[in-house]
Amino acid sequence: MSATLPFHRVNVLTGTKSAREIEDAAEYVKLIKKAKRPLLVLGPLLIEGAIDGKSLMEYALEIAKRADIPICATAHVSGKLSELGVKPDSEYDIMEIINALQHPDWMGVKKEGNHDLVIFFGIRSDLGEQGLSTLKHFAPHLKTMTLCKYYFPNANFSLPNIRKDEKWKEFLETLISNL
Amino acid sequence: MAELKEIERKLKEVEKLIRAENNWEPVGHTPMPEVASLRNWDMRLLKTYEPFYAPFCDLCCLCTYGKCDLTEGRRGACGIDIKAQQARMVLLACLIGCSCHTAHGAHILDYLIAKHGADKKIDMGRMIEVEAPNIRTVVGLKPENLGDLKIAIEYVYKEITHLLDSIHTGQEGSYLDFESKALHVGMLDHVGMEAADIAQIVGFGYPTSVAETPMVDMGWATIDRTKPMILVVGHNPATSAEITDYLRANDLYDKVEVGGICCTALETTRYSDRAKVVGPLSRQLFFLRTGIADVIMTDEQCIRADMPEEASKAGSVLIATLDKAMYGLEDATEMPTDEIVKQMTEEKKHFAILDPGKAAEVAVKTAMKIASQRKKEWVTEEEAKELAKKCNNCGMCERVCPNLISIGEGITEVAKGNFDLLKKQFNQCIGCGKCEQDCPFEVPIFKIMQTGASMESWKIRAGRGPIMDTEIRNVGASITLGTIPGVVALVGCSNYPDIEDIAEMVEEFAKRKYIVVLSGCAAMAAGMKNDADGKNIYEKYPPDFDGGGVVNVGSCVANAHITGAAIKVVNIFAKLPLRGNYEVVADHTLNRLGAVGVAWGAYSQKAASIATGCNRLGIPVILGPHSSKYRRLFLSKKEADDWQVMDARSKQTINTGEPSPEHLVNVCETKEKCMVMIPKLCIRKNDTPQGRAIKLNHYISLYKKYMGNGLPDDLHLFVRRDADVPIVYKKEVRKYLKEIGWTAKESVGLPTLIGTYKSKVPVDSVIQS
Repeated sequence: MSATLPFHRVNVLTGTKSAREIEDAAEYVKLIKKAKRPLLVLGPLLIEGAIDGKSLMEYALEIAKRADIPICATAHVSGKLSELGVKPDSEYDIMEIINALQHPDWMGVKKEGNHDLVIFFGIRSDLGEQGLSTLKHFAPHLKTMTLCKYYFPNANFSLPNIRKDEKWKEFLETLISNL
Repeated sequence: MAELKEIERKLKEVEKLIRAENNWEPVGHTPMPEVASLRNWDMRLLKTYEPFYAPFCDLCCLCTYGKCDLTEGRRGACGIDIKAQQARMVLLACLIGCSCHTAHGAHILDYLIAKHGADKKIDMGRMIEVEAPNIRTVVGLKPENLGDLKIAIEYVYKEITHLLDSIHTGQEGSYLDFESKALHVGMLDHVGMEAADIAQIVGFGYPTSVAETPMVDMGWATIDRTKPMILVVGHNPATSAEITDYLRANDLYDKVEVGGICCTALETTRYSDRAKVVGPLSRQLFFLRTGIADVIMTDEQCIRADMPEEASKAGSVLIATLDKAMYGLEDATEMPTDEIVKQMTEEKKHFAILDPGKAAEVAVKTAMKIASQRKKEWVTEEEAKELAKKCNNCGMCERVCPNLISIGEGITEVAKGNFDLLKKQFNQCIGCGKCEQDCPFEVPIFKIMQTGASMESWKIRAGRGPIMDTEIRNVGASITLGTIPGVVALVGCSNYPDIEDIAEMVEEFAKRKYIVVLSGCAAMAAGMKNDADGKNIYEKYPPDFDGGGVVNVGSCVANAHITGAAIKVVNIFAKLPLRGNYEVVADHTLNRLGAVGVAWGAYSQKAASIATGCNRLGIPVILGPHSSKYRRLFLSKKEADDWQVMDARSKQTINTGEPSPEHLVNVCETKEKCMVMIPKLCIRKNDTPQGRAIKLNHYISLYKKYMGNGLPDDLHLFVRRDADVPIVYKKEVRKYLKEIGWTAKESVGLPTLIGTYKSKVPVDSVIQS
């Protein structure tokens, strides 16, 4: 069990099963490439968020494009995507997509079967951590991964707490270029 | 045989308590339901709205067998699994909430019975005949006087004990049964709340049978700091009513300011429109630390546990007035009044005083003595700028903030002379104070934040209590048929992502001619935003329970009037009997009444309980993002779920395939998403084509406004026939329906779940006689 504390203390793990902390983008690349039916769940923090002038949404869309991952837009993300001329593969709010994912017989956003890797990006950390808890406990059929700059104990794979945005940027850019 | 005898004995006992021989309505199948009486109804609900769990913790820590790890299918030493453990904690939360309201009711009843006698008649005014819809429906009793309300309260007490018993280690093991029990306690909560508020209306003479209640002042800028000030905090009005009486009797009304925080503020302004609402719960610590209050009086619920320490820091004195929160203070109930005042004035000593009349007298006398000795100065921008220079934006404040706010950034901006970010953050702040506690540089964040605090003042309409029968008569058909697109109840606490969200939601739906109902801290927050003309929602919209009206029912316990209004529609408009007839009433609400609750800032166990009570009655509830920490939602799997109903007229079972209402309780991540979810959750199977077209018009238009162009991807699920398609979007919707191969659905005359599950209630019960 990792001793890492999440950045936001409301997410401190009271339990036994915590995320593997991964700093190396190459490891993320391997995990994503290994997945047969990944899903990228995009949250509202991507709408306003940016690193060094580049919108977080752009990073997310590049990841989806490079790795051919379907997108699930939560909250009001579809509005922003529509401005960018992108139609998400599905629209659910965060707890609704988590609810669908936890059922192994759900057919996924492409109706091809449930997903085996779900990547979360841009969900507020307390809500995201709760949703990840659902999947940790009730969805052994899939793995979860986060791309935000905070450690999420309830995920399977998480970035550590990243203090400097340059480091986060480097991680995301390496990830994108290697997918 | 022995079992049958026991059933007969219990039935006789119930018949006696509810005076079954009084023939105002026939007694239904479940008067005074016990823990398992409505279990089949619950299980039917839970079949479609399966409990969804987001465990807050991997462990169970409740007994000395543990801690037990419940991950990866493990069971605890007692045999419990993770789902049952979550449901158990939800039940516990609901029990805490229900206990708070019911014990509040019991306390106030005892106080008022001592004052007026148990035979004080319940008179809710000439516009209200159905005086206690929840009590009539659940208990089967038509309460005639204050003494009758005790019957309802004692019934709830008894059930609470049984339910609490089931949580003990080595009892219930099924998550579904724990949820059925939680639904039971949620229902009871509305009985307890209703008893409490009826007692208050009758005993204190609060407004009733009136929509246009007085407008009262709100905001700390309305407090005259040159006068002595008494702050009342909590939920119980006994002491604040005594303060008002004392001030009136001694001609001191103009000399002392009385303001309140949280529900006691709403209660106090129902008693006296000269009292002031300081603000919701999230403003509690800010206001305490300003030191404006000379005397702080706490009663119960949602008051800070460190009140004596906070009072001392600010140089205020504290009186704890209820046994539920005595803070380790000396009980001065028997001490001579002058001696208490002397010690409070000279030694700044805090006391517990459990006699409301005495507490009130002490508070006024003490406030008048100490006010002139105290400084009540707001920090200036220049001072704040200096104080902010201690911050190096290390991020510790953000780490501990429950609302995840980058407070350090706001403070460092202040150090540069820019207050804009801090002002924005003040609206997001829930006022817990953890940032300041954990700041390694001891930056006085709350003091600096005073410069972000709005100096605006607002008006709030005093809580009006129940919806009038005449109003229900006027709107019942429109709500049931869908031509008033829905009733939106914004309720509960102030754990908001942003406090202005509430005013924006009210505005959006009042403009669209929904009926908007408010209570508790949400009623305050809703008024805390003025438009460009300086008007807030209470000044812009009529106070009527009608399309486009904005109605403040009152405090937390007044939430029972919201479920009460739904029940009255069933009774007054649909003409179905209420007495012990819960299943029929809930079934009607679920299938035919477009109402939705929004607890955007829900934080407390009381909110959990209120929402769960709405759910059993068939009213869906939307929670704000923090509320995922409640651990449990009731979510459907959309079209994949069981949406079968019986047509009560033809007795045919029909698979509607229509997920309405789609969820019973869910969390929305953002205000924008919530705006789109509200109209969707107002859709009911009984909508007429005209009503459905109106509802879909709002659903589509709000989707376009907040989610971008295009149509909602589940729109086809809610279009039954072409006549349901809203005129404005006819071309676009028809094109979409054609593209996806939509076909018209079979119509349902009178949709009901009764008949689709095992129940003693015959299907014909849902048909108006």
